Amino acid sequence: MAIGLLEGSYGPDGFRTCEVTGLKIHRSAEVPAKMFGLTAVVALILGGIAALLVALTRWEAVGLLQPTQFYKYLSLHAWNLLIFWMVFMEVAILYVGGPMVLGRKMPGSKLARLGWTVMVVSAVLIEYAIWTTTYPDQQPLLTSYAPLKSSPLFYLGVNTFILGTVVSALPFFACIWQEKNEHPGRTLPLVSFGAFVTGIIAVEALLGGLITYVPTFLWRIGVVGHIDASWYRQMYWIIGHGSQQINLAAMITVWYFMTHLTAGAEVVSEKVSRGAFILYLFFINLGAAHHLMADPAVSAGWRMWNTSYAMYGAVLASLIHAFAIPAGLEAGRRRRGLGGDSWFGWLKTAPWHDPGFSATALSIILFGFLGGITGVLMGQMQLNTMRHNTLAVPGHFHGTVAVGTTLAFMGLVYYVVRLLFRKEWVLDRLARLQPYLYGIAMSIAAMAMMEAGIVYGVPRRDPITTSIPGTSFSFSAASPMLEVLGIAASVAVLAGAIFVLVTVASLLFGEEAEARVPVPLAIERSDRSVHGFSMRGTLAMGLFFLVVFALFYGMDWMWLSRLWTFGT
Amino acid sequence: MSSPLKSPEGVWWNWGVSRLERTWVGIAFVWCVILFAWMLGWRELGAQNPTGPTTRISPDRYRAEVQAYEKEARKTDDGIVPPGRDIYVGAQQWTWNGLPVVLQAGKEYRLHLSSYDVQHGFGLHREARMIEQFNLQVLPGYEWVVPIDFKHPGVYDVQCNEFCGVGHRTMHGQIIVK
Repeated sequence: MAIGLLEGSYGPDGFRTCEVTGLKIHRSAEVPAKMFGLTAVVALILGGIAALLVALTRWEAVGLLQPTQFYKYLSLHAWNLLIFWMVFMEVAILYVGGPMVLGRKMPGSKLARLGWTVMVVSAVLIEYAIWTTTYPDQQPLLTSYAPLKSSPLFYLGVNTFILGTVVSALPFFACIWQEKNEHPGRTLPLVSFGAFVTGIIAVEALLGGLITYVPTFLWRIGVVGHIDASWYRQMYWIIGHGSQQINLAAMITVWYFMTHLTAGAEVVSEKVSRGAFILYLFFINLGAAHHLMADPAVSAGWRMWNTSYAMYGAVLASLIHAFAIPAGLEAGRRRRGLGGDSWFGWLKTAPWHDPGFSATALSIILFGFLGGITGVLMGQMQLNTMRHNTLAVPGHFHGTVAVGTTLAFMGLVYYVVRLLFRKEWVLDRLARLQPYLYGIAMSIAAMAMMEAGIVYGVPRRDPITTSIPGTSFSFSAASPMLEVLGIAASVAVLAGAIFVLVTVASLLFGEEAEARVPVPLAIERSDRSVHGFSMRGTLAMGLFFLVVFALFYGMDWMWLSRLWTFGT
Repeated sequence: MSSPLKSPEGVWWNWGVSRLERTWVGIAFVWCVILFAWMLGWRELGAQNPTGPTTRISPDRYRAEVQAYEKEARKTDDGIVPPGRDIYVGAQQWTWNGLPVVLQAGKEYRLHLSSYDVQHGFGLHREARMIEQFNLQVLPGYEWVVPIDFKHPGVYDVQCNEFCGVGHRTMHGQIIVK
């Protein structure tokens, strides 16, 4: 069965043509992409189960797990969702954005299998290390902050996982290399370009990971005598935050891809969108400094320069994409005569019933308002001190990687089922509902965490905050927020389970997909240049976003100014 | 203007950019400059900055410093009263040395922070108040001196905010400001 799922019908040259996208797809790229995609969904299941246990513990009225168990499942939750689900998906996205979009064979597809094998074995090793951690070793959580010691197998698994990922990315780079050799004058399509930038950011992050984890492993097994806590933090965050920047760049590439495929979006300016990707390339990895804002060992100048991505180079890039993608949707749909001439008709008539589109659109909106704004607030050196290590931090990154990246990847997987596995969705009513249920529930969970953190100061990584042994002080005022978190997170896990159910059931029982081209793509475009079509709806929404952004920014600084005086 | 799945043809660099998109990029750029300038300005003029001199120090030496300070400090029922303007806090699994401490409102102290073992988080929260907290990272091997001046009398609770092992949640202390 599993082998059968990976196969498809190809011509004698190994190619087939996708009737929907018109892409020429070679077996050497499609089979590995499917393997990585399926593995990612397995990680999503494991991480989702752990998520439920974690949420039902932090909902302290339920208080499911004791601290030792809590930290175990928190570690499993972090590694399965933030690393394995994301990274396996991202390698699949490289294979789609490279060989498939370019219509090429994938060179070295044996390397892809080797990389996949190393990654899977390493992932199992990391899960085993977390599962079997016993005192005096401590759970690594995501960060494994030295000098707190975790199981040696954990550090070993991280190193080999990173190596496996690098090996898996090589066929993608070789493919780009061949394309540029054969067609030096031809520009990469935007989606390939985005994937290429993602790949470079990924290699930077992965090298940082080896710089961190090889010495840390040597320290853990006693070859190196001492490890400096500040050195570890600075090195660790090259991969710790860098891997989240891979998620960001991959997600934005998926946004361009999916808005085009499902709703007829076009690129309004190649120059501007590519320029924004270049800004990411130069500046986004400086954002690793976000985690060192309340650290003793780095200077204020170093912190402010890096946390601002060198004067907000990467924030500018994100704001550009935040305009360019909806504008592409608006102009592309107006050009096809969809939605009339009104301000927002193009948006109202968009295929909101298509989970591929609704997941993408919700991902764009929710990422911006929840993840984007809070990310910039927390990334300001002084504002960071109010949120650092509180529950507001997980609140922020559930606003980026959960409602942003995970939701976008879910939308993509729906289409992978249709276009690569060529299966119709079963339970398609559930599929229509799923992105809304997940997006809304996870947004509420993220906002509950933000509020518990910023308003009540509830710490992260702490299973019991409403009663602290040995003191009358507690965070019990935040109990209602923790209850909202517990309920909303449980609903979000349910929505995740629906996603798994729909995709797995479609793979197993779905009928062979018909070659239906989504309506917007089937409509002839008008010949007028895209600038002949208004983008006023997008500009209005963009300005609304900036007003909200500025309000939160002002409010945070007002709160900070009311604190006691500190610092030089 | 083109499909994101196809190579743009011709010299796309010279294609015009629409007026609205240029307007947006301009607004976004100005906003980025404001964000940067405000952060730098607050560093110079603002009263809340997570900054102060740091020196390298071995955990053993720092422990000795804290012990010498505690010996010199006056003990009261509420906590120790520092002999001068320096207050020392030593973090270890899973307790805060040097706390509880009794301070005076409106007086600037020099808060010394370091750890004897692993990483900890100095989370400070004013009791029964909302949105009044801050968090500083505490690292072994580094002594951080952060000037601090409490404007208002009250009880300020200290909670370890960085995971430091399974006993992490029991690590707490107090600063009492009179």
